[in-house]
Amino acid sequence: MDGYVITVLSNIGMISFIALSAYLLLVTGEISFGQQAYFGLGAYAAGAATAMFGLPIWAGILIGVGAAALVAMVVGALTLRLGGLYFSISTLAFAEMVRLILLTAEVQVEVDGEMVGPDGANGFHDIRWMFERDISLAEFMLIIYCLLALVLIVLALVERSRLGSVFRMLGSDDLLAEMQGINTVRYRILAAGMAGGIAGIGGSLYAHFTTYVEPQFFNVMLGVHALAYGLIGGLGTAFGPLIGVAIDIGFLEAVRFIQGYRMIVFGGLVAVLLIFMPRGILDEDRVHRLKGWFSRRRHAGTRGN
Amino acid sequence: MLELQGLTKHFGGVKALNELDLTVEEGGIIGLIGPNGSGKSTAINLICGVYGETAGTVHFRGVLMNGKPPHQRLRAGIARTFQNIRLFPELTVWQNLWVAQNSPQDISRQRFLPRWFGTTRQARKEIADLLELADLAHKGDELASNLAFGEQRRLEFARAAAARPLLLLLDEPAAGMSRQEIDDLGQRIRRLRDSGVTILLVEHMMELVMGVTEQIAVLNFGHRIAFGTPGEVQSDRAVQEAYLGTDATESGPAGGSA
Repeated sequence: MDGYVITVLSNIGMISFIALSAYLLLVTGEISFGQQAYFGLGAYAAGAATAMFGLPIWAGILIGVGAAALVAMVVGALTLRLGGLYFSISTLAFAEMVRLILLTAEVQVEVDGEMVGPDGANGFHDIRWMFERDISLAEFMLIIYCLLALVLIVLALVERSRLGSVFRMLGSDDLLAEMQGINTVRYRILAAGMAGGIAGIGGSLYAHFTTYVEPQFFNVMLGVHALAYGLIGGLGTAFGPLIGVAIDIGFLEAVRFIQGYRMIVFGGLVAVLLIFMPRGILDEDRVHRLKGWFSRRRHAGTRGN
Repeated sequence: MLELQGLTKHFGGVKALNELDLTVEEGGIIGLIGPNGSGKSTAINLICGVYGETAGTVHFRGVLMNGKPPHQRLRAGIARTFQNIRLFPELTVWQNLWVAQNSPQDISRQRFLPRWFGTTRQARKEIADLLELADLAHKGDELASNLAFGEQRRLEFARAAAARPLLLLLDEPAAGMSRQEIDDLGQRIRRLRDSGVTILLVEHMMELVMGVTEQIAVLNFGHRIAFGTPGEVQSDRAVQEAYLGTDATESGPAGGSA
């Protein structure tokens, strides 16, 4: 594989985290325009851990995830009573706040005679953990996909468990869930924390993959795309948003020749899809039918043997 | 078991419920009736904590419920159904019952993982029994949104039972039902009462109310205007006026109420 393909695939992998993050909140019925903030927080926190304090990357990722999840839970608690549009606007405002803070934050320490750390609008340079250890892009891509697989397994277990049903209950009828004995406040905060943490993983990896992060990358377009992935790919399963990412980055990279019209094509694609499939390609109903089909096939198979 | 004292709810200038006093004894079926807008649904919503009350108190089994969120009231034993069917359409029929098993017994007797992955044999058996009772045994794997109207009503009823309520609030359960289905519903309600559940029935369908309840409270314009056995309520003059209107000449019998 050449570097270009590896870069595109790695980008698909890293963006998948923020797509899954937005998806999780979409399942609970909340449209967040601010998941890019947790991606950014994860990137800065993990970058700081390895570049400034010399911690190994695993610690860096854990710190990135922890910081993102913690902040997300606080924001989740503060926005609990906000519904619909008000929730969306406040998440957007919060994300912009984070971006502006990162734009002005200058916190640097001296490492090996060089100043390292967030440098305001100049971004955060020299997150060189991967290069110092001679880890190739292909190997790093493997790390990305291993972590992505891990997150997908966890999400599949969640989906299979009562928690998955509770998240869908929050999404379809909050008050009804409350009246079934569900402490909706607790689960909303939990969902916010999980979503923040997942975005944080993506950010942590991104910082180390590119060695350089700047606040401008975590602008609102990233958050809007993250939402679009779930809406395109479908809210019935965690694989939905991954399809959305693959369609956006994969397909649009493949048709690079249309260059300047890329976003127009993407926007049109989203609009058309949502008209015909309001809850995405893999919506709950299709996922349910697919599951039924697979289990019938399995039963037919055992009978055949 | 349930004691409402001076329960009042104002929405802005609208007095939806005015100083309602009502005591529901354990083990009975109490009807709550009244014309549209008389405050029946408001009363139910106050009892299960959807709204905060303007004034008054709700006591359940001697415990003050004011200020407690709905999920705590459910766990205390108050479950309800809705005037318009409310299910979780993205969940299967089975899951709709599974997620309703939130009574203290269900939480305490199951270990964390079996409960969270739905593998407890006892809990699964109870769901299977509820499906059987609701004539939905073969529909467990269907999405709730794919059920027919009558099936959805039965599922909602079964879900309320899955919560192991001590008190069940039924908000117009017969709406949109055929005669046959209403008879069927009446039997389900009695069977539930016989299993030890106290029932508060809000209903417009008088045949059902008169048929199954032992006592009836009548609301009008947010006030309680009568309380008694079905027979007493039917012959109550204030009730007849509430339902049929006051005769302009104050003459002639206002018979055949309801």
